[in-house]
Amino acid sequence: MKSVLVANRGEIAVRIIRTAREAGLRTVAVYSEPDRDAYHAHLADQAWNIGPAPAGESYLNMERILGVAAETGAEAVHPGYGFLSENAAFAQAVTDAGLIWVGPPPGAIADMGDKVTSRRIATEAGVPVVPGTGSPLEDPAEIMAVADRLGYPVLIKASRAGGGRGMRTVSHSSEIEEALASAQREADAFFGSPEVYVEKRLTNVHHIEAQILVDNHHNYVYLGERDCSVQRRHQKLVEEAPSAILNLSQSRELGEAALRIARACEYRSAGTVEFLVDSDGSFYFLEMNTRLQVEHTVTEMVTGVDLVREQLRIAAGSPTSAIGLRADGHAIEMRINAEDPYRNYVPTPGRIVSYREPAGPGVRVDGWVRAGVTIPRFYDNLLAKLVVWAPTRTQAISRARRALDEFEITGLPTTIPVHKAVLDHPDFISARHHTSWLESEIDLSRTEPEVAESLPEEEGVVRQDMTVEISGRRFVVSYWEPDVGQEDRAAKVRRRPPKPAKGPAAASDGAVTAPMQGTIVKVDVKVGDRVDADDTICVLEAMKMENAVAAGREGNVVELRIEPGDSVATGAVVAVIR
Amino acid sequence: MGTEQRIEHLRKMRSQARALDQRAVDRQHERGKLTARERIAHLLDQDTFCEVDSFVRHSARGFGVENRRPLGDAVVTGWGKIDGRTVFVFAEDFTTFGGSLGRAVADKICKIMDMAMRAGAPLIGLKDSGGARIQEGVGSLDGYGRIFERNVRASGVIPQISVIMGPCAGGAVYSPALTDFVIQVTETSHLFITGPDVIKAVTGEEVTFEELGGAMVHASTSGVVHFVFSEDVAALDGVRYLLSFLPQNNLELPTYFTPTDSPTRTDDLLDQIIPDSSNQPYDMTTLIETVLDDGDYFQVHEHWARNILVGLGRLDGHTVGVVANQPSVLAGTLDIDAAEKGARFVRFCDAFNIPLVTFVDVPGFLPGVDQEHGGIIRHGAKLLYAYCEATVPRVTVITRKAYGGAYLVMNARGIRADTVFAWPSAEIAVMGASGAVNVIFRREIAAAEDPEQRRDELVREYEAEFNNPYKAAELGLVDAVTEPRDTRSHLIAALEMLRTKRESLPGKKHGNIPL
Repeated sequence: MKSVLVANRGEIAVRIIRTAREAGLRTVAVYSEPDRDAYHAHLADQAWNIGPAPAGESYLNMERILGVAAETGAEAVHPGYGFLSENAAFAQAVTDAGLIWVGPPPGAIADMGDKVTSRRIATEAGVPVVPGTGSPLEDPAEIMAVADRLGYPVLIKASRAGGGRGMRTVSHSSEIEEALASAQREADAFFGSPEVYVEKRLTNVHHIEAQILVDNHHNYVYLGERDCSVQRRHQKLVEEAPSAILNLSQSRELGEAALRIARACEYRSAGTVEFLVDSDGSFYFLEMNTRLQVEHTVTEMVTGVDLVREQLRIAAGSPTSAIGLRADGHAIEMRINAEDPYRNYVPTPGRIVSYREPAGPGVRVDGWVRAGVTIPRFYDNLLAKLVVWAPTRTQAISRARRALDEFEITGLPTTIPVHKAVLDHPDFISARHHTSWLESEIDLSRTEPEVAESLPEEEGVVRQDMTVEISGRRFVVSYWEPDVGQEDRAAKVRRRPPKPAKGPAAASDGAVTAPMQGTIVKVDVKVGDRVDADDTICVLEAMKMENAVAAGREGNVVELRIEPGDSVATGAVVAVIR
Repeated sequence: MGTEQRIEHLRKMRSQARALDQRAVDRQHERGKLTARERIAHLLDQDTFCEVDSFVRHSARGFGVENRRPLGDAVVTGWGKIDGRTVFVFAEDFTTFGGSLGRAVADKICKIMDMAMRAGAPLIGLKDSGGARIQEGVGSLDGYGRIFERNVRASGVIPQISVIMGPCAGGAVYSPALTDFVIQVTETSHLFITGPDVIKAVTGEEVTFEELGGAMVHASTSGVVHFVFSEDVAALDGVRYLLSFLPQNNLELPTYFTPTDSPTRTDDLLDQIIPDSSNQPYDMTTLIETVLDDGDYFQVHEHWARNILVGLGRLDGHTVGVVANQPSVLAGTLDIDAAEKGARFVRFCDAFNIPLVTFVDVPGFLPGVDQEHGGIIRHGAKLLYAYCEATVPRVTVITRKAYGGAYLVMNARGIRADTVFAWPSAEIAVMGASGAVNVIFRREIAAAEDPEQRRDELVREYEAEFNNPYKAAELGLVDAVTEPRDTRSHLIAALEMLRTKRESLPGKKHGNIPL
């Protein structure tokens, strides 16, 4: 394998391209129009525009992506996460095109992508699942019976749910009917299938997932777990490895369960099996993600494995090199999103005014932006992943705080303040947090954001920072100036006013005349044809140039006075339109 | 009367001056037209209009006019701002005396024109008038004369724009005709010397108002009108947009806007726009829009003489005037109308310090008896004259054909172009290959066994030898042969280099352009 096409954008495309370059592979990036200047497009050896902003017309456009692969002679396709990464049809199409798919076989993607099937496989493999129904349900009465048996609260979940969509919590039987209808609606809209099932909603649980690697040489490797319990609306915000609540034998048990599922679905490549874990260590299978995870970095930091490199090795048919490794130390990942934590995490696409990443011992930043970059509103708003490593969890938390203080992003609100709040919270420090902890304990909407963050957004004002030294001590002073340039431009730049429709009215008799003397080389219409004003009647060669003679008005061709080869004089009638 | 009462009295007079006959206003609106004051309000920045002469009244006698002396008479005049820059404006008021021009109206217009000249700011005339006020006789006629003389005096000093928003007939048409740009609104306005009734009486020809002097006729057939809009507000927006390209007067540089487009932007489209076969046309408008800032190209005379394109745009924030042959109309040849259209635009740009960018793809002049007898020599000379005389920066890009005299006319090095670029697709030669071969190899062709075959061979040889930019480059007639995709950055660099250009013509009363 000599080359790879990365069918993704943002930090993950950058991440994959980095490893591919280290592996000596030629890299092909794809980008949508607003991403023309994105870092992943710069970094790859080649970058191809695959269409306009909407993902459906670009990053989800299988045909176009495969076309680029064919044109560039890329041998493999790495899908990253999101977009087409868990699309079995795409995996199949890549394979059918004679390319290497850097990921699991389409069958495993399909099986694990369906919640009902995956629960069945897990159960058959002897892995406990969250109590619930093994089959889809439609009837509210049936659901009520199940819910009564499981005990409230329960979750109504789309069979193909993901990213928190298509899920409804029901805490009383009276809510079932409405929750069912809305879950079905959302499931239909987002996943193309209204199928739902019911499971018990476990409370005060940790979200812990097992990272595995499987190659084609019968190596089934468990690379330890990750704890992703800091979530808001089922979306992960902070992830760490290892989990602070599992001991070594519990972790190993979890890993064995994950590998049993991988065997059962004939898994290959890197994968993640997600579990919900009670405070007493009993765990329930939640779902399997058949791709690289956003938070794969923390596993890399503690094991020293390059997971993308392993994926590429496995895809090329080589055995994995990640055998017999021991995890060491503790790693934490913080997702820096363009979201406003003070306003209920509303996405805040926009332009980054200044940007400076933290560095220093044990700090890794996987990002893709810099000052001046505009975050498009069309995609995920992950700007960067800040990952820290330290020998112990306590040291890792201190290091994470230090790194967050160094991180400077102005121009738009980010999740940095919420990370600081999480790291300072005693519940997180003592690992007493759980999956709904963040939403109930950390609420920034009641606090005031730092003034400096939002003022530069004000129209017509620019923030200026100046360093001053007073009595030998260094201070940074901020002041605000009217933005003269911007104001001027807003006042002066004008759009072109609308113009009336083009073209003069045709001669009233409908006669189409030769604009100049020449020879007719082609006649495009027959008598009786219906034509529009812009339609070509014939092509006239004159002055060594082919001139299209347009109908000039809408109507039927009632008369045609020329045929190819005829010479015509200027103003000669060639056709009559009525 | 105490001071307070005096102030009260002023207020009353002011509101009287603004009062309109509601029936006349309704009729104006029914026709799809705005009133003079509504037009001014839409044209200018909000609350910037300063009215002049609102208490002027006529002092004519006879035919009962002495009994009707409205304040301000039939025109509203004053100054205000457009995008923060001062402009002077007069708007004929059709709701008063049908907008007719008497001495008082003429006095008001002349005064505002004089003020515009003194201040060095553009003048905009909103035309909606029944014509001379016949009751005032020759005194009214003299008013037109005084306006015409001022139009000419101001020509080339301040930009003058006329907007035809109602009737404009007879002698009145010559005021707009003398201004830099004429904008006309469709359906509600017409412009002619003699109306349909007189024409019918004299020649027997039957013609409607719209067919005779409607906006589209003047925009496409007569060339009298530069821009057409379908309603009053669009036309007024058009004036604002047009002014955004222009300087206040001939001593200022045109406007500069902080660019929103990259000066180094390249475009693959330019590498592909010239068809492989030289007898295929392409759309020059697309080429121009690709090169200019943000693709904004404001075409002047869009519908008339479409074989040449003229218009305004920006390069790196600076206004440029763009002239180009259009290969998809009449093969891009120069004819009488094209030469006049180009000449007038080149002279306008030169008068107002707007650099000229010329794109050349011209196979020659349009052949034909009517062209020769119509005076293509005299008219073609106008474009040649205009370019030769222009002292603003002049940059030429030869995209494809540049043959014979037409090549020279289109701002060639020989007539003092500042910078000349040629694309690799350029064919710069004294004449087309077959013509040249017929002359040079007449004997050889005649003597050949198969003259046609020999001629074809020679044509191919000649094409290979001369249909390229390199002969001209050898002679220094083009400064650089450039890749089409880089055209924008080359133009910006050349214009930047020429920003300090200073050149003046020898002192003279004025030249003698072949009119």
